[in-house]
Amino acid sequence: MVQTVAWMVSLIFMLMIAAVFGFVAFKSKEKRDYEPIKKKWYKARTFYGATLVVVMLVITIYTLRELPYNQPAYSAGNDPTLVDVEAIQFGWKMNETEFKVGEPIEFHVTSTDVTHGFGIYDSELNLLAQTQAMPEYTNKVYITFDKPGTYEVLCLEYCGLAHHLMISKIIVTE
Amino acid sequence: MVTAINKGEWKAKNNLIATYLIIGGIVIAAMMIFGILMLLAQGGVLDLPPAAFYQFLTIHGTGMVGGAALAASAVMWYFLSNYVELSKKVFKLNLILSLIGVVMVIIGVFSFKYASAWTFLYPLPALSGGAWGVTGALLYLAGMLILGVGFLLLYIDTGRAIIKKHGSLGKGLGWDVISGKRAEKDAPSPTVVASTMVTIVNVTALTAGATVLIMNIINVVNPAFTFDPLLAKNLTYAFGHIFANSIIYMGVIAVYEILPRYTNRPWKSNRPFLIAWTMSTAFTLVIYTHHMLMDSVMPKWMLIMGQVLSYANGLPVLVITAYGALMIIYKSGIQWDMASGLIFMSMFGWVVGVVPAIVDATIVVNHVMHNTKWVPGHFHMYMGLGAVVMIFGFIYYLSKVDSGLQTNGLDKIGFISYTLGIISVSVGFLLSGAISTPRRWATHFPEWMAPAVFGAIGGVLAVLAVTIFIIHFIRYVKVRRTTGSDINEQKLA
Repeated sequence: MVQTVAWMVSLIFMLMIAAVFGFVAFKSKEKRDYEPIKKKWYKARTFYGATLVVVMLVITIYTLRELPYNQPAYSAGNDPTLVDVEAIQFGWKMNETEFKVGEPIEFHVTSTDVTHGFGIYDSELNLLAQTQAMPEYTNKVYITFDKPGTYEVLCLEYCGLAHHLMISKIIVTE
Repeated sequence: MVTAINKGEWKAKNNLIATYLIIGGIVIAAMMIFGILMLLAQGGVLDLPPAAFYQFLTIHGTGMVGGAALAASAVMWYFLSNYVELSKKVFKLNLILSLIGVVMVIIGVFSFKYASAWTFLYPLPALSGGAWGVTGALLYLAGMLILGVGFLLLYIDTGRAIIKKHGSLGKGLGWDVISGKRAEKDAPSPTVVASTMVTIVNVTALTAGATVLIMNIINVVNPAFTFDPLLAKNLTYAFGHIFANSIIYMGVIAVYEILPRYTNRPWKSNRPFLIAWTMSTAFTLVIYTHHMLMDSVMPKWMLIMGQVLSYANGLPVLVITAYGALMIIYKSGIQWDMASGLIFMSMFGWVVGVVPAIVDATIVVNHVMHNTKWVPGHFHMYMGLGAVVMIFGFIYYLSKVDSGLQTNGLDKIGFISYTLGIISVSVGFLLSGAISTPRRWATHFPEWMAPAVFGAIGGVLAVLAVTIFIIHFIRYVKVRRTTGSDINEQKLA
């Protein structure tokens, strides 16, 4: 799951940073001339900076390969189900809410009043996909459910006092 | 080190700085209390009506950014005035306009139930679903506009002063040094470079903010006047992202100025430093699009650039500023006290907060973490443990050099309590984000409650610590008129 990877990667890097700061604090009471330290660590910085740029480039290229904005390539005879979604303070209007496992779906999401957030949650309350529901614009979410169950649509952009009550259900069957 | 100011001016300047800092500090502490109440409500411990929750949400965001920006601008003004001639009248005017704006915002939120969150996404101010009316919206939006005008005047003045001394804003960023037309030894000081960057980005941000605020005001008064919601969103995030982030760039001036004094090691602008700040200037202006990664109607190239440049924006701090701070402290024999300790901690907070920020700026991650509590997780880390700690570090520095006021065990407890508190708040948010908890929800499902309670406990620790910091600073204001100052600066290293 993306969230778990994000949390673990963040935790590892944050602990590494804590270790570096801890080490420097530990070594701070010793007193040495600054010039040799500068010379040594400026050299190291070139290597560190270059490494960081390369790592960031690799991660950038890797993570930009598949974007949620791109329409998936559908196989012949497996056209997607188009679902019009309209957000309104404080509910969701969808022209279809029951789907099959493996059925490709395109949610075309807009709003008739303010900005809302269209977030699809599975039955264990994990966020699977989202887009903004904007007045005058239509954003798209491409999704294929791979498990049967009851999914929920939650509002993910603050839209007024009943924002947290803006919940709808989606049923996915075998 | 530039300290060539006569004593009378020094005292008058510090009175104004102290006023900024006390107001900023008290606002931050008060906003923390609203934060705790919201977390307790989300944790199921406190029964808070949704209307009150969203009013707290609105005041918390507005107050935190406003209070921290006010205090951080005092840090910048304090040090920048040693290099260029700033207008004290404009500095005072900013304070007055900020106070007027704050009063209007408070009345709008608490007397007229205005609750659009501090992002006031068009057309929410006018379409509240019956929750608030025209008066509340106008008070809030006009209050924000007056606040913004105050800050805009301040940055126009810093820009004027920098141009007068250095010739242009480009030279304030050291472009003539980067291009080789000028020697590195004649480069502008880090304080001038950072202030130039802040001037450029905040004049842009505040202009964008004023534009969208005025359009919202007209829409509230006359709903027949409408404008493009996507344009409004771009302007709102251009304003909000840049202005909020400028707090760090103002605060980091304290790091550049204070650490050399404590370590007896110079922190001068060299070419890599200047290039890094030019990068920060450019990236800070354009990376607000990472707030719009879930708006697929935006041009795709802008969203991809949002990710790429957000990554790149981590480089100046990771490779230059944080690295420089670590180098200057490493084997320096530094004398640790509240000021140096907080300044060091602030660099840690900034860097560590960059990690979840970069993670969230990754489009595929943002797809499942945008508008979850991961987002407040990362900004509570780099604002709460970074930017705000720079301000507190400066408070202890100022009280030390300007009065020789000693710290005691309580201050140390405050340091530990604050660090643990904000780490708990941030980790609570990040954990919540990792389990998909949406942000800005008045109530939570039971599965989401535990991290909120954990964060609230952390918040209590942080508020206690900030109270200790403020008491120390008020003690300083009381004793500073009876003690000397110049000798204290020499005692730092």
